[in-house]
Amino acid sequence: MTSLHEFRILFVAVTGILVLLVASPALSRLLVFPRTDYFTELWILDSNHKAENYPFNVARNQSYNVFLGIGNHLGYCSYYLIEVKFRNQTQSAPNSFNRTCSSLPALYNITVFVADEGTRELPFGFSFEYEYGEMFSGVKFSNLTLNGVNLDLSNYAIKWDSGKKVFLGNLFFELWIYNSTMSSFQYHERSVGLWFNMTTF
Amino acid sequence: MMSVLKFSFVLLVFLGLASQFPVSVVLAQASEAEAASALVTSEDSVISAYQALSNASEAGANVSSLLVRLNEAGWFLSRAQIAFKSGDFDSALEYAAQCQEKLNGFAADADALKENAIYEHYMDFLVNVAGSIVGAVSIVCVSLISWFFLKRKYARAGISA
Repeated sequence: MTSLHEFRILFVAVTGILVLLVASPALSRLLVFPRTDYFTELWILDSNHKAENYPFNVARNQSYNVFLGIGNHLGYCSYYLIEVKFRNQTQSAPNSFNRTCSSLPALYNITVFVADEGTRELPFGFSFEYEYGEMFSGVKFSNLTLNGVNLDLSNYAIKWDSGKKVFLGNLFFELWIYNSTMSSFQYHERSVGLWFNMTTF
Repeated sequence: MMSVLKFSFVLLVFLGLASQFPVSVVLAQASEAEAASALVTSEDSVISAYQALSNASEAGANVSSLLVRLNEAGWFLSRAQIAFKSGDFDSALEYAAQCQEKLNGFAADADALKENAIYEHYMDFLVNVAGSIVGAVSIVCVSLISWFFLKRKYARAGISA
């Protein structure tokens, strides 16, 4: 006959396995690895949803498409505001070291709500209307069509970059977030953008 | 006589134009004020809806359908703001109205989802947490009782441990 000692080991093992099985739903809620990183992702992709063929040589009245993506890892559903701005090489840019936004006015705003651990990609279609100055000394803009909306760019101009031999313009997107405590949007210290060369006829 | 008639005609035309001008300014201002008011109302509605959605989300509700609605409302609000900035007050008013329309009954829907989520969370806790803990404790108790009876049975049979 099997000894009671052998039975005891079997008893403890079976009881332990059963207890773990039955308690697993409770354990799965208690033994959760805590989240420590809370952040927002911001990215820009080309018209094929890839980080490859971004537009660079921008012709007059030619349409280009990019996608702007936002990934929310803040632990709560977030209310974002995207400010679209345009600048030349000498104008104010967002600074990732000082964590400041550009002082330029936004040309276009769009609000986005993203669930926690959710992502959202927004399409941006744009075309520039511009003219060259005398002897190709600079580029004078008249308007930017962004997602079908005509935006006035009459105060914007680009000078010839003799070093790079281009007319460089920077279209960039700043991310702002709604702060419920302050009841206002705050710069979320994230921006992405694309440099364009306005020398294509 | 002719010059007096000419002068009177010019004066009449001038007065007519002058009387039209303030009216058009007043009409434009009224439209701008109306659009501005609609814009503020829409902005407030979007924020209220966002807060209702956040509360439902915190309670563990699946807010994906509400999020779609809120994003649509946000898109209309953005368009209204752009139209207002460019002086197109009619479009601003129209977009603001469409934004409001998207948010009709939003808070009630969010609250319903929140209540449902709270109930589901309670049931989930009852079944999965409390239930499994009670189950685990019951297994330990049954094992101990079984062990006690088994030990007694062995003792009666005269088999040593």
